[in-house]
Amino acid sequence: MRQSLAKMDWSGKALGIIVLLAGFLALPIFLPVGWLSLVTEMLILALAAGGLNLMLGYAGMVSFGPAGFYAVGAYATALILTNTKLPFVLAFAAGPVIAALTAIPIGWFCVRLTHVYFALLTLAFAQIIHTIIFEWYDFTKGDNGIVDIPLPEILRSIPHYYYFSLIVVVFCLALLWMIIKSPFGKTLQAMRENAQRAESIGIPVRLYQLATFVLSGFFLGVAGSLFCGFNKNVFPNYAHWIKSTEMLVVCLLGGIYNFFGPIVGSIVYLFLDKVITGYTQFWPLVLGLIIIILLLFLRGGIAGFIAERLALRRRRGEQA
Amino acid sequence: MTLQGLVIQILSGISTGMVIFLIAVGLSLVFGTLRILNLAHGALYMMGAYMCYWISSVIAQFTGAFWWSLLLAPVGVAIFGGLVEVLLLRRIYDREPLDQYLLTFALVLVIGDLCKLAWGVEYHLVPAPWPLNGPIFFMGMPFPSYNVFLIFCGPLVFIGLWALIRYTRLGKVIRAMTYNREMANALGTNVPLVYTVVFMLGSWLAGLGGTLVVPTASAMPGMDMIILIECFIIIVVGGLGSLSGAFLGSLIFGLVNAFGILVAPRLAVAFGFILMIVVLIIRPWGLMGKAE
Repeated sequence: MRQSLAKMDWSGKALGIIVLLAGFLALPIFLPVGWLSLVTEMLILALAAGGLNLMLGYAGMVSFGPAGFYAVGAYATALILTNTKLPFVLAFAAGPVIAALTAIPIGWFCVRLTHVYFALLTLAFAQIIHTIIFEWYDFTKGDNGIVDIPLPEILRSIPHYYYFSLIVVVFCLALLWMIIKSPFGKTLQAMRENAQRAESIGIPVRLYQLATFVLSGFFLGVAGSLFCGFNKNVFPNYAHWIKSTEMLVVCLLGGIYNFFGPIVGSIVYLFLDKVITGYTQFWPLVLGLIIIILLLFLRGGIAGFIAERLALRRRRGEQA
Repeated sequence: MTLQGLVIQILSGISTGMVIFLIAVGLSLVFGTLRILNLAHGALYMMGAYMCYWISSVIAQFTGAFWWSLLLAPVGVAIFGGLVEVLLLRRIYDREPLDQYLLTFALVLVIGDLCKLAWGVEYHLVPAPWPLNGPIFFMGMPFPSYNVFLIFCGPLVFIGLWALIRYTRLGKVIRAMTYNREMANALGTNVPLVYTVVFMLGSWLAGLGGTLVVPTASAMPGMDMIILIECFIIIVVGGLGSLSGAFLGSLIFGLVNAFGILVAPRLAVAFGFILMIVVLIIRPWGLMGKAE
């Protein structure tokens, strides 16, 4: 009986995902271009936040510097596209790989520390990346950024770029989902709950944390490369800590202990940003108040709240 | 470089360091006692700077307007801090650090925009007050006398805080809480009251720093973020929650910055972070902190 229930649950979920994907595929048909680029931005932000959340929600490592790797991915792709004749696919793939490679030495230093110190060290490294981008003018064009990044013909229209982003983001999120559901992901959660106990049953905690750091850097790099192609330019503020905080807020807004949290968070965040900025220049004030209200009344973030409600309904259904 | 130039550079490094000390020590004190990394500390500092501008422009017809703001603005910030503690922070002490980051970050946004609403986005400068508005000469080189005053403020506050923590009843309670919170609670301290008082003291220090800085920089949007990151560097270098660590960290930070600008002007922003990384690698708990 339980078996069949679980199966039904699973097929229901699969159906839901198919309907959702079909909806996303059909979006360009009826959505004006302006909103379509907003949805593209949401997808990219969802991926960045998802990559951060692997570390934040699942391994319990609070990073203040995710934007550093986001920027490394973006700049790597941008620099390759403007300076070489390499095909787009290679340049695009190189971004995340270089971001992940950068994350190895940085992560090696950071995972030696815990809690606040870890958070602050990640911030320091991200700010150094920002400074290098800002000051190394000959290489990165400093504050002027790299503009007019050449894209292949096929990706230049917004609907086409939207489809490209959709494919990449869905693929990466599926990858993240598999990571989280794998023994590796379970181990991370065990470490989050009690690192000492995890260590005592023979889990090499630091190694796992480093792996998480690098994986997270990789996904952030994918998001950065995607965004660089979307905007066709890159600027030092990609690496700024405001950008990092934005990602952090998106995760927390949606809910960090839920896989869909960062996705919900990015949708809500960018939608509110667009709507509220139309009415008032005091969007940060509104955002701050929203966060405070969420925090005092909706502890699990939006996705956590929805999951709680669903669980409640299911329980009621079982009782009836 | 000439000897005079060297002396001036050292002095300006120390005076920057001493202002940041006032702010960093407040952050460190709050962290040590309340166990909250208050991201809004920089915003309170900015609020102090704006209040100083506001008060000195309102009472400009009196002589010594700045000195009045020096007295009043930090108190204003402390009262605001007290309200924040009672209304918001109090509800999240037993939550995860993440919730605390998020709440204090929300405060950064709220306070930043409130300051914009009240005082606009223009830069506000308050001139250095009499009698500190002229230069002092060191070996024939001019140095702003106001900055000399700043150099004295740091040690003065340091000694004041040290005496407070060493000799008063409140200080004893703060120390007890920093060492062993559960025990202090069990012994019947009025914990909520102490938390409020400590947070107000931290806010007062942030406001004081903001007020003191206005005659050398100006009150402007964005100043909160810059100082916050500098404070992070200092309290990490010195050791979180350590008073003397914050002092030492500020001195080192000020000097590293002053000389970093001479050596490699374009990388000046990164020096603090490099310092922090070096210290964390050698002593992960900071220079004056204790290993966990």
